[in-house]
Amino acid sequence: MPFGPRLPLIPALLLALAMFAVPAALMVQQALFDPGLTAVHFERFFTRSVYLGVLQKTLVVSAVVASLCLLVGYPMALYIVHQPPRRRPLLLFLVLVPMWMSILVRTYAWMVVLGREGIVNGALQWLGLTAEPVTLLFNSYAVHLAMAQILLPVMVVTCYAGMTEIDPGLVRAARVMGAGPLRAFRHVFLPLSLEGAVTGWSVIFILSMGFFIVPALIGGRRDTLLGNLIVGQVAQTNWGFAAAMAIVLLAATVALLGLVRLVAGRFIHSPREARP
Amino acid sequence: MTRRLVAAGLFALGVLFLFFPILIVAPMSFSADRFLGFPPASWGLTWYRAYFTDPVWLAATGRSLRIALLASLIATTAGTAAVVGLGRVRPRPRAALTGLFLAPAIIPNIIIALGVFILALRIGGTDSEITLVFAHATLGLPFVVMIVGAAYRQTDPALERAARVFGAGPLRAFWTATLPAILPAILAAAIFAFFVSFDELVVALFLMGGAETLPVRIWNDLRFEINPTIAAISTLFVIVTAAAMALAEFLRLRATRRQGSP
Repeated sequence: MPFGPRLPLIPALLLALAMFAVPAALMVQQALFDPGLTAVHFERFFTRSVYLGVLQKTLVVSAVVASLCLLVGYPMALYIVHQPPRRRPLLLFLVLVPMWMSILVRTYAWMVVLGREGIVNGALQWLGLTAEPVTLLFNSYAVHLAMAQILLPVMVVTCYAGMTEIDPGLVRAARVMGAGPLRAFRHVFLPLSLEGAVTGWSVIFILSMGFFIVPALIGGRRDTLLGNLIVGQVAQTNWGFAAAMAIVLLAATVALLGLVRLVAGRFIHSPREARP
Repeated sequence: MTRRLVAAGLFALGVLFLFFPILIVAPMSFSADRFLGFPPASWGLTWYRAYFTDPVWLAATGRSLRIALLASLIATTAGTAAVVGLGRVRPRPRAALTGLFLAPAIIPNIIIALGVFILALRIGGTDSEITLVFAHATLGLPFVVMIVGAAYRQTDPALERAARVFGAGPLRAFWTATLPAILPAILAAAIFAFFVSFDELVVALFLMGGAETLPVRIWNDLRFEINPTIAAISTLFVIVTAAAMALAEFLRLRATRRQGSP
């Protein structure tokens, strides 16, 4: 094939190479050379318990947030999928709009809602549950709550996409063969929808690993995540160490998702395999 | 029947959870108090006036608009061309290239930001709107490739071939036969790409030293105090986003529903 037909690929390719592939390579170089080949940045990270603690915290928070989203998001997707097709776009739209709203704005909204003078404290005092305003911000509950709320739409959309792949005839067949609705759900629909659920969990896990806005604005001092450390190191012009941390972040994410796939792979059946 | 009502009620609760904080902020932005408390003691447009008369906020907004428009234009053009190009290569390179184009949507922004920042340090492109525009265009690219790609796969390649047979050049054939069918999807993609850039904080934070974009301005403000001006900006932000998303979804659905027509 002559080069001509592939010409339209060039602009996007240049963009992705210049702003994604080359920067990624430079980041690895920045972490490993200072100026000669060195492991000093990684050594610093892995020998200090402060950094290891933050890495562990980031992994745990991301897993908890992804699980919370799954718990709430799966039923929401299930609800949409069981609506008549004409009503589905509107329901999906209700979930999609918040997804596109600025994360900064949504975090700020939580600051206002949970603040000392916020509506939650107002309600607590009005009900007579407390006399003084309670500190609801700057703790890890607030961080989990806000992160889960911000990422929930992603879970609903991913689960929904997986569920629409399922052939409705399979569930109907189970019902015809005498299975009750719960049994048909548990043995047919649920296993086939797991692929979408695991994808949703993984996507939210990845996105959470890079979060820094929420923990910085509504977390306490102990809620620092890896993203916050990276931003801090860039501000202090420690680029090599920041790059090393970014690589650790990426490696930890890939490792954990590999583990998830390995474990989940035993239970997952793709809805596409179950098609005639 | 009751089961259905319970399910609908629970779903509504989920949606309420998604909207609740911003639904609280919107009325509070019309407070005239110096500190945001609920319920506000006095009402007025104080904080909207504060936003629209502050040259720093306006400059940040203008800068963000400019950057987002350019980034969206570049992402939409490059992404649409890429969709066409992807249709012409064999499955293996197609999968690899698609992966490369989609990757920026899944890799945490902070990692991309750090990489672009290190590149900018080497080539002297920090404090440059141009670098930021291209970085934002790359972040918008995945959404263009996904949305336009979905619409493009539903077009009938025979139409473009027919145009070629009748003597149109490749560009003209695309322009007259394919483009009209995918135009709504392209516009929807442009809107999404615009908001990817308009919202983006961390790349701008690393790249732009003195010249703040709107998200950077909000970030710098929020870290020191809760300034009620941000409630007004948030409300405007939310209204504009919701309206634009409604338009984009309408366009996207129109583009992908065409499949039914012969």
